[in-house]
Amino acid sequence: MPSERLLPRLFLTLLVAVLALAGWQWRHGAPLSANLMELVPGNTPDALELQAEQRMQEPLNREILVLVGHADRQQAVNVAEQLGARWQASGLFEKVQWNLQADLPALRAQLLRGRLSMLAAKDREQLIDHPDAFIQQRVQALFDPFTGFSLVPSQDDWLGLTGRIQNSQPQSGAVQLDIGSGALIADADGKSWVLLRARTTGNAFDMKLPLQVADLLQASRAQATEHGAQLLAASGLLYAASGQQQASREITWVGGGATLGILLLLLLAFRRWRVLLAFVPVLVGMLFGAVACVALFGHMHVMTLVLGSSLIGVAVDYPLHYLSKSWSLQPWRSWPALRLTLPGLSLSLATSCIGYLALAWTPFPALTQIAVFSAAGLVGAYLSAVCLLPALLKGVDLRPAQWPLHIAERLWLMRSGLIKRVPSAVLLVWVLLFCAGGLWQLNSKNDLRQWIGAPPQLLQEAQAVARITGFQPTSQFFLVRADNQQQLLERQAALGQRLEQLVNMDKLQGYLALNQLVNLPAEQQQLREALNALPAHWQPLLDLGVPVGALQAEVAQLQALPTQDIDAALLGPLAEPWRTLWLGPVDGGVAAMISLQGLSDPALLQVQAADLPGVQLVDRLGELNRVFAATQISAAELKLMSCGLIVLLLIVPFGFGGALRIVALPLLAALCSLASLGWLGQPLTLFSLFGLLLVTAISVDYAILMREQIGGPAVSLLGTLLAALTTWLSFGLLALSSTPAVSNFGLSVSLGLAFSFMLAPWAGRQKHAS
Amino acid sequence: MLTPVGASLLAKIVNDNAGHLTPRGALRFFASKLAPTVFALFGFSAAAHGFDLQQLSDQLAKPSVIHGSFIQEKHLRALPQPLVSKGTFVLAKDHGLLWLLKTPLQQDYRISTQGIARRDANGWQTLPNKSAGAEQNRLFLAVLQGDSSGLQRDFDLQLQGEAEQWQLTLTPRSLLLKQVFKQINIDGGTLVHSIELLETQGDSTVLRMQDSSADLPLSDAEQHDFAQ
Repeated sequence: MPSERLLPRLFLTLLVAVLALAGWQWRHGAPLSANLMELVPGNTPDALELQAEQRMQEPLNREILVLVGHADRQQAVNVAEQLGARWQASGLFEKVQWNLQADLPALRAQLLRGRLSMLAAKDREQLIDHPDAFIQQRVQALFDPFTGFSLVPSQDDWLGLTGRIQNSQPQSGAVQLDIGSGALIADADGKSWVLLRARTTGNAFDMKLPLQVADLLQASRAQATEHGAQLLAASGLLYAASGQQQASREITWVGGGATLGILLLLLLAFRRWRVLLAFVPVLVGMLFGAVACVALFGHMHVMTLVLGSSLIGVAVDYPLHYLSKSWSLQPWRSWPALRLTLPGLSLSLATSCIGYLALAWTPFPALTQIAVFSAAGLVGAYLSAVCLLPALLKGVDLRPAQWPLHIAERLWLMRSGLIKRVPSAVLLVWVLLFCAGGLWQLNSKNDLRQWIGAPPQLLQEAQAVARITGFQPTSQFFLVRADNQQQLLERQAALGQRLEQLVNMDKLQGYLALNQLVNLPAEQQQLREALNALPAHWQPLLDLGVPVGALQAEVAQLQALPTQDIDAALLGPLAEPWRTLWLGPVDGGVAAMISLQGLSDPALLQVQAADLPGVQLVDRLGELNRVFAATQISAAELKLMSCGLIVLLLIVPFGFGGALRIVALPLLAALCSLASLGWLGQPLTLFSLFGLLLVTAISVDYAILMREQIGGPAVSLLGTLLAALTTWLSFGLLALSSTPAVSNFGLSVSLGLAFSFMLAPWAGRQKHAS
Repeated sequence: MLTPVGASLLAKIVNDNAGHLTPRGALRFFASKLAPTVFALFGFSAAAHGFDLQQLSDQLAKPSVIHGSFIQEKHLRALPQPLVSKGTFVLAKDHGLLWLLKTPLQQDYRISTQGIARRDANGWQTLPNKSAGAEQNRLFLAVLQGDSSGLQRDFDLQLQGEAEQWQLTLTPRSLLLKQVFKQINIDGGTLVHSIELLETQGDSTVLRMQDSSADLPLSDAEQHDFAQ
């Protein structure tokens, strides 16, 4: 037939075109991404919130914090110095810092400039309300041999405002400055820990950098151990590195394992080397999936690759459809076998695509990508199975092994025997009872932590670093918006008062807000005015010999200090901690963040923001967990909708009753899987639900196979068994993933496949079910 | 696999805040570090037989209690007259230092392993210097116990003169310290006579110890002060 020559040529032309497109897409290297933020729901419609979040996240993805610990302080410093030099030389970092050379002139200049704007509320109130006490304390400080030392010499600051600002700076953590080396050191567990900080040139989502940093760290650990020192490290980069290593490991395991298993199965069943060509549709499917993904999203995520590698098992089903006909169709010829199974194949493609594409409508970019990858991959696999493979297999005389058929026949007999004794209706009741019991025990659990497959050692180290340094930043922060800077500072102060209460109750370790750095313009003005009253109270200073002229000059100078706004206050080294908090002018107003430390109860935060205008809590973690829970419901709705669509599609070939039956079986299988999760004590997560969503799509295929019964029930059962086995080989292996989300997915798909296979025979016409 | 958002949120445990303490750490440090260091040098009550630092150090541990009075002169560049204050001190090897300012105003200080404390109407109040405290006490105690290695790490020590009349000069090693002060001079004979602290910006402080004696044990009141 002409189509037997035309189709392969057409397909090869298409394949060449797709290959060319792939080549163009990969011209700058692999368009892969490892940024997990792309995969979680980005339902932040607010650009400002997004910007704030990125600002808070940025250091995480670029900085690494290392503690070098040694019982001997000097040794710790020495090792830190060596590592610092090594890291600097590595070229991976734009900045490596293990010691501090403070810029004192800049500090002094900032303190002098900020005498009105940076004076803490307590000191400000004393100067305004109790000038006598204020002067008295200053006199005391001048004599005090212990705390009287100030960065700014007395003659530049007779009133001692800079000293007060110095002492009121919020202090956090347990890290101190080592006087001789300038190193930052914390003492804990009988060791001195020198802090080493490095900032990488790229971020954690670079594909190479995290691995390079992790390697460097490992080498540094070895080096430190030689000197008897211990390293503790924490960084988003390390999670990225471990994630990437894990991903490539799992792609190898899942992909490799599935491939080997399927090839072995093909060889054992069909006993012809050329039957391994059935793997061509798999490769073509992968190619189509990747190209479609990159074309639509600009790149492909590594997670798509991991989950997508399970497509192998589904793609190989198409050739299996007609290969398995060789048990009944003798002599087997490729093109006739294809023609016989083409309607079933096409239906199977349509139903699978509907199932996969239903995933695309969940608010998870991760699943959208997987859906596109899979749907395009299936189309590719289908096309190559229909157009190319029969040509490749032309002339192959398939004489499959008989033992699989014997197994299938025995299974069929067992089933018939069972049905003779126990009618289907009774079985259904039992199954439903099983389901009810399992569902009763099913717990739902959704937590972002399911996405984390981070090794416990990384977490422990990060916790140790937090404990030793005393820094425990939280992921939540407040976003404060206002019309102008004055209003912004007022709003921050209002929130600050509430946070202060949490700090006093030990619910919060501390917080950082711009209003701690700079006083309101009105407050600066109050100080200026209060200075007028000071001459009446400064006699004690005159008694010490301070020239009255010097004091008068100082007051005049203070009053002439310009009112500092946020931008001015952020200049200078003291403002460093606050700098990231300022978002500047946005949307005709201004905005800033308030960061938090050491939070014990996140639920308390939401309450703090209540009824404060312009104040918003940004709690990405909590928000995501809520989205997870909400998505479960929409996922279930999607599942039902996709079933409805499939029913519509199947009415044409099978009639309404048949279509309903074919769709009801996968649904029942999904229900049984849910119940099994319950019986097994496994939680229902969003991911298990997604898995079941997928199973519905795949197992409709089995029901169709069993319904059509080309070549008799046993042959159809064998075809279903092979298809289920190959699919299970790839999805089942996902259950071994160390990422809870992925393994959960794998488990539910495995369960779903098992039940689908068991239930599929009931898709047959009434007479078979009797 | 996934470089999970959650993980990076967990990693936030450490994030950039470490950088925040840079200037602040420096301030804290300067605010309360130097004075105790200087006072620790009281410990160099030199019954030194030679000019050797080690020998001087060896003598540190010997007198267990020193009583004396002091005159503190603060020379500020802009003042024609120094700020003069007077008082008494008690240095006890096992306890720490009591520094009792008498004129022109009265104020009691105590340095011990617990940190610096100031006495007010309610008794001793430890000054909040959590971050710098541990380090400075470590240094202080090291010196009290005759361990000059702590000092030698941060300063160049130069000893001149003889046992009855010696001068110890401390020059800061690190850039950081050099930005703050030039030099510390300690003069002594059998006991320390004076300590002079020269700041880089031109101010200086001189502490003159008078009537120092190692004869008396701690009085009950003094023991009580150290005990609290």
